[in-house]
Amino acid sequence: MLLELKNVSKIFGSGCNNCLPETGEQADRAICPVCHSVVAVNDVSLKVKDKEILGVVGESGSGKSTLLQLIFQDQPVSEGTIFFNGIKDREGNNCNILELPPARKAWLRNHEMSMIYQNPHLGLNFNFSAGGNIAEKILGAGEKRYEVIRDQALYYFGKIEMPRSRIDDYPDNFSGGQQQRIQIAKALSSSPRLLLLDEPTTGLDVSVQARILDLIKALQYEMGFSMIVVSHDLGVINHLTDLTLVMKNGSLVEYGLTDQILEDPQHPYTQLLVSSKL
Amino acid sequence: MTTDNITFGFFDEDAKKEIRRAMLKAVALPGYIVPFASREMPIARGWGTGGLQVTLSLITDKDQLKIIDQGCDGSVNAVNIRDFIVSVTGVEETTATPDATIIQTRHRVPEYPLSENQTLVYQVPYPEVLTTVEPDTARQKEMHANVDYAKLWVLLYEDTAQFGDSRISSRYPVVVNNHYVMDPSPIPKFDIPKLSDNPALQIFGAGREKRIYAIPPYTDVKPLKFSDREFAIEDFSGKACERCGSEDVFLDEVHLDDGVHFFCSDTYHCDTHLKEDRGAA
Repeated sequence: MLLELKNVSKIFGSGCNNCLPETGEQADRAICPVCHSVVAVNDVSLKVKDKEILGVVGESGSGKSTLLQLIFQDQPVSEGTIFFNGIKDREGNNCNILELPPARKAWLRNHEMSMIYQNPHLGLNFNFSAGGNIAEKILGAGEKRYEVIRDQALYYFGKIEMPRSRIDDYPDNFSGGQQQRIQIAKALSSSPRLLLLDEPTTGLDVSVQARILDLIKALQYEMGFSMIVVSHDLGVINHLTDLTLVMKNGSLVEYGLTDQILEDPQHPYTQLLVSSKL
Repeated sequence: MTTDNITFGFFDEDAKKEIRRAMLKAVALPGYIVPFASREMPIARGWGTGGLQVTLSLITDKDQLKIIDQGCDGSVNAVNIRDFIVSVTGVEETTATPDATIIQTRHRVPEYPLSENQTLVYQVPYPEVLTTVEPDTARQKEMHANVDYAKLWVLLYEDTAQFGDSRISSRYPVVVNNHYVMDPSPIPKFDIPKLSDNPALQIFGAGREKRIYAIPPYTDVKPLKFSDREFAIEDFSGKACERCGSEDVFLDEVHLDDGVHFFCSDTYHCDTHLKEDRGAA
């Protein structure tokens, strides 16, 4: 088991005892009727194994992106626990990564996980060159030899099929699809065990989408990391993932093999989602 | 100027106490930036008020005071600050580096090696080394606490990739005691090696930014540098001071109509070297 979430919830607002029971799938709402807090993620438990690719689908506002941000620690978790393989306390027991001291959390983010955002402005620092952005991740993982950093940056820059001569250019000077590929190079440069992708190809034209999906798939096959892919595009989910979970109003409504979910959806909401596919 | 009604050291005792507390904290946490209540001074902010406040709260009537501006005892800024401190304390002034117990400096470390009974007070314009890469002060504090200096290293990486070495000429970032990365004030790279393992106490005061930090005696200070790259200081090989003939010191480059001339930046060093030469002749 690489990653395990147990009863994870995220409440935006003051929060009260009614928040979780009064919202979610059954209640068919995400806003608590008592305190009017927004329950973005409601009591979600899931497991990701090594090399597994998990897709997360759902309509906008269903809590897909928030779930990723909770795993990547971009947002504090309101309730629940998250375990990551190999993260242990002093006694050698698996420990909740949410309770780690800041330095170890940073270590986890730099060494073990990487996130690719829909908007390159979130994932890349536009004041640094493309190579500098990749170097930032390698430096964050503790490497302090220039030659090694430069070689690694060039290696991952090559992996995303970019000419080496452009490595010192700034992200502004690249197209949207190229910026997305630089994000991928940056994310992979620390050899993470878990890659989180938040709508990685949304907003790109279809031919570029296809190339980026193929690239991600090839790199995953080669390097063997696990992935969690958030997308509202069932085509992307179908193309990339082995397992899929469906979210609605912050709750997990269906979970299973991707093929099974797309061919034979059980939950009425999933049926609606699949039947609405263009 | 009459000084009959002014307390010793210009400040009242409470003010001195507050500044000394900030300094004690700074010494206890080498390289950590401590905020303090920077006072209005009779000179404008940005003209050495940080160093001045540190000096005034440290000084006793037994101290010997030396003030330099870019190594020079005679520049207007140095003379004014020295005259002011002497007028409110009556301490003895000196230009001799080995005789001074407190040396307040702007942008240089004296050439003459310092000793344990000396304190070097720096005037600092920009105390926070992370400002160039992270404007948010709350984030800066987190980054210092987590020893997260990846963004500073990226600047170094980019310079090395594009120009072969760092382009920073002064204010070169240093790692103090293997933890905090610190702005050493705009001293040249030439002076960076002198910060490390120095027997003297080094205190940095930024009056406009209201910050104090310190390097205690014999503290390890390293320039921020990739482990497979050498830290290079200014190269003055083949050049010597035209006045005293010194080599191996930091030289000022003076552009005149008849070309470029080089002189010692440290005037005390220049004067003593000149005397030694004449004595020998």
